[in-house]
Amino acid sequence: MSIEAINEQLLRAIGVGVALLDLNELTFRFHNDTFSEWFGEPDPAARLSDLFAALDVEALRRALTADGRYATETTFKVKRRTMTVAMDFNRALASGEPIAVLVCQNITRIKELESMIDSYSMMVERNTREIKREKEQVEKLLLNMMPRPVYEEYKTFGVVTPRLYDPVSVLTLDFCGFGGMVSTLDPGVIVSELNDIYSAFDRIGEQFGCERIKTIGDAYITVSGMPDPAPEHALSVANAAVRFLRYLNQRNDSHPIQWQCRIGISTGAVIGSVVGVQKYIYDVFGPAVTRALRIRGHTEPMTVCADSAIAELIGSRFSRVSMGMFDLGGGNRHEIFRTEAIADQPKVYGLSS
Amino acid sequence: MEQTLFQKYGGFSKVSRMVLDLYNRLLDDDDIGPFFDDVDMARIVDHQTKFISSLLGGPASYSDDQISRMHQHLEINARHFDILSKILAETLADHGMSPEDVEAVVNSFEDRRKLIVG
Repeated sequence: MSIEAINEQLLRAIGVGVALLDLNELTFRFHNDTFSEWFGEPDPAARLSDLFAALDVEALRRALTADGRYATETTFKVKRRTMTVAMDFNRALASGEPIAVLVCQNITRIKELESMIDSYSMMVERNTREIKREKEQVEKLLLNMMPRPVYEEYKTFGVVTPRLYDPVSVLTLDFCGFGGMVSTLDPGVIVSELNDIYSAFDRIGEQFGCERIKTIGDAYITVSGMPDPAPEHALSVANAAVRFLRYLNQRNDSHPIQWQCRIGISTGAVIGSVVGVQKYIYDVFGPAVTRALRIRGHTEPMTVCADSAIAELIGSRFSRVSMGMFDLGGGNRHEIFRTEAIADQPKVYGLSS
Repeated sequence: MEQTLFQKYGGFSKVSRMVLDLYNRLLDDDDIGPFFDDVDMARIVDHQTKFISSLLGGPASYSDDQISRMHQHLEINARHFDILSKILAETLADHGMSPEDVEAVVNSFEDRRKLIVG
């Protein structure tokens, strides 16, 4: 067998569709077996556009004249299977006549894989979005339970080391007659009212650099000076305290249910830690917390009381009126003071300030 | 966390081969194939990818309602379901899945029979 004959056999049998086109008429001069298997046996007089109706013949001519090559794809169905074939036209010259070599490659498998990757990546993206959303919800929940730096420590190490914060200032608040309200009002109403009030306290506290630690029923505890130290911790809680009262007064003017609170503030050291293994909660303990709670117990409705330590720190901007000596823990008696912001007091004209 | 069959059998890179093989076998089958006669290739592939992924515990999951709704307009009878079940089992086994795992997958497929066979 001659080399030419072998070449022709190879060309016919190869798994790539090959055809030679007369560029003047766009008719077929030659095609191999694979080509006719895919596209049918072209008539001797058949033109390129008869076989490929969707082919842009003008674009083909322009590209072949300009660049000498043109590439496109064609899709057709064999039985129910979609086949995609990549077509490459290359201009050539045979005995001075313009011809083009058309090479067709079956890229069905690639197209199927592309579709599968699209489909799969869409599933994965959707899952990733869902996981991210869940993660954000968990984070939000945990940030409600502990300050952000504590949460970061918990996330990184899985545990939180108890830490001493000194000095900080503590504000504790409760509502007068809460027991009576619980027995007379609808529980749903109580919860929704408390939610409203505590949310307002949180916002006010945040403005003054206070971190709400917890609420237990009608008791609310917030601290300034932790987890990051704050030089103005005492002023922060004192300012928050008078604004809590102001907020409640305003709210009582326009709401049917009246809330009367008592606020105790103190300063000193606290220990902050996550407590519990299964149901963990971030909490603070220490002399400042105990004193603030005791002070609150001796406070009149809708007033703020402070011990001498914090009263010293908030000095000039708050007035103080002694309420007497009380046991604030440890058996020693301490003087406590009713405290008001100077700006809140009724002005007495004619007196020099 | 328990490993899913999807992870056990090599994740997407291996499962993708099972999917394409199943796709070929279903199209070649003269009972099942006609359901896909006028369906776009990308949609069939999408269908098979999600089908296999959900059976193997991959990143797709469908509620019974969704499955039922998606097959509502098709006249799928018990014989069609049997054939698909058989082709599925053969494909998974040919890709090296252990007989117990094939059985587990086919059982979970069978659990959906009432949603699909109308």
